[in-house]
Amino acid sequence: MLEQQLINGLTLGLIYALIAVGYTMVYGVIQLINFAHGEIYMLGAFFCVTLITAAGLPFYVAMLMAVVCCAMCGILLDIIAYRPLRRAPRLAALITAIGMSIFLQNLALIIWGSRSKPFPRTALPGYLTEQALTVGSVGLSWLQLFIFAVAIGMMLLLYLVIQKTRIGTAMRALAQNRTAAALMGINVNRVISFTFALGSAMGAVAGILVAIYYNTLYPTMGYTAGVKAFAAAVLGGIGSVPGAMAGGVVLGVAEALGAGYVSSLYRDGVAYAVMIAVIVLRPSGILGRAVTDKA
Amino acid sequence: MMGRAMVAQAKRLLPVAGVLLLTYPLWPGASEYVLHVMTLALVYMVLAMGLNIVPGFCGLLDLGYVGFYGIGAYTAGLLTIHYDLSFWVIVPLAALNGALWGALLGAPTLRLTGDYFAIVTFGFSELVVLFLTNEIWLTRGPLGLPGIAPITLNLSWLHPQWYFEFYGKAPNFYLAALLVAGVYFVMTRLEDSRLGRAWYAIREDPLAAACCGVDILRYKVIAFAISAAIGAMGGCFYARWSMFLSPDMFKFWESFLVLCMVVLGGLGNIKGALVGAAILVCLGELLREGLGAVGLPPETRFMAYGLIMVLIMRFRPAGLFPAIAASGRANPLLAALSRRIAAGDFAGDRGDNRDTPA
Repeated sequence: MLEQQLINGLTLGLIYALIAVGYTMVYGVIQLINFAHGEIYMLGAFFCVTLITAAGLPFYVAMLMAVVCCAMCGILLDIIAYRPLRRAPRLAALITAIGMSIFLQNLALIIWGSRSKPFPRTALPGYLTEQALTVGSVGLSWLQLFIFAVAIGMMLLLYLVIQKTRIGTAMRALAQNRTAAALMGINVNRVISFTFALGSAMGAVAGILVAIYYNTLYPTMGYTAGVKAFAAAVLGGIGSVPGAMAGGVVLGVAEALGAGYVSSLYRDGVAYAVMIAVIVLRPSGILGRAVTDKA
Repeated sequence: MMGRAMVAQAKRLLPVAGVLLLTYPLWPGASEYVLHVMTLALVYMVLAMGLNIVPGFCGLLDLGYVGFYGIGAYTAGLLTIHYDLSFWVIVPLAALNGALWGALLGAPTLRLTGDYFAIVTFGFSELVVLFLTNEIWLTRGPLGLPGIAPITLNLSWLHPQWYFEFYGKAPNFYLAALLVAGVYFVMTRLEDSRLGRAWYAIREDPLAAACCGVDILRYKVIAFAISAAIGAMGGCFYARWSMFLSPDMFKFWESFLVLCMVVLGGLGNIKGALVGAAILVCLGELLREGLGAVGLPPETRFMAYGLIMVLIMRFRPAGLFPAIAASGRANPLLAALSRRIAAGDFAGDRGDNRDTPA
């Protein structure tokens, strides 16, 4: 039982980690809680399913195209909504983010309807619906292995982009000091756009994986997932990419264990309680830098 | 400047408009619906004024205000159903309960500033909703609490016939107006008090305030508790007025709405909070009616709401009546300073570099 909970928690946690990375990267470069990130995650799932059902594309192609579409949505979101507010009070940007989240969520409700849809199973490659191995009462499906592989692969890729490429270096420079980065000749807006694209792509992948894993997608799915991923980002130390990954996994496991052993009614409560506890006890999170704005 | 002349003209008309609105229930052919919306606007005015203390006076972002509203409403609902207490006893009890939770949440978390504090309040309000949904033995969960008795005023000890039941729309409207007036009075007095000045000092520069001997944490907890108490009072009235409660009424959306009212009116501006509440409640109703008449699905209303908030922030990021700019308009030096403050940041940093080691 415990092993099964751990496996389920790990699967969920890796998905949270994928979303959390998007929050934390955006927060790192522009200090904005991008509330609309959960909606990008939802759009990822819907784009993928629509491309499969309406355009008849094969699964992998549809997934790739959905991810690209979401990356573009992320860039557009930044250009249309956030860029004009770079010098406005922080609260204005935050309200804009929440406003965009509400806007996108209800737009999806109008386009795709409020009922939850199943993921088109027939479009999936055959092996994804099979059980990989079963030891005693503990089962591990190919789907879970697929999620592990994709999530870990994406994060390795992200790590390489951030640490080894020119634009990754620019992102880190921006996170440290925007003015100094601009003085060094970094095109600030382009780097911010790139950050949004990267974060949104990761979020879209997470959305697609969740839609397959739970075999359901609905327009409001972004809210809870977004909040939990945000909790994961806080848990790991907001602004820290490895922290967001670690935070996601810890939160997923904590949630699975909490739901299994404490009370499944408070499944969502675990995330909030962990978030509050971390902020109160150690605001910098597991791997974050020390917080200086304490009064 | 024609703007100033128009403002002066409008100011002269304000009392007239106020009297017209206040006597609305007495007009022949007054619509129940309009009265309902007006009462709702008054409830939101109380909430907006209450929330205004935290982000407006102290410069702390509160994303979970509706949690206290919910606590107040359920306190009132449960006390009415189980103990049949009078509204006049419940109001202070609910306010106390709200203040207690505000202090409990605030004391450990108000050390934090900026987004960290915002996230804690957000998590708190989500936990309140989860609690209300799951503790079925207490709150009946998603079924809600129906059949909360309306407000009564029992003065039969003064005169045998002085027993009033606030059953229709009009008495509740006047009670809500009274509540708004009371809270407004307290707010204006607080703003000019020692307490209010300490809050302003914390908002403008926490470090300087601390150096002048302001006990920052203490004043912040007081602000948070008072704000929570006012939210709970609003909830208390709402419970006895609507006579039905359900956990769905206290979701994050409501916090966002109240925050928008405060920001729209201009952070820290009490009158602005009133105007913001009136505008957004009316806007919500107009959208509901207007979009319904055109035959669009109800979701469009929220979509439009989100879009309008985005547009307002785009073109009026400091709200309709920015409190700081107003006081500094006469003095060019102050005006320049206020522009810098407005362009800067909540926690006092300038937005581009949050993590410089101190």
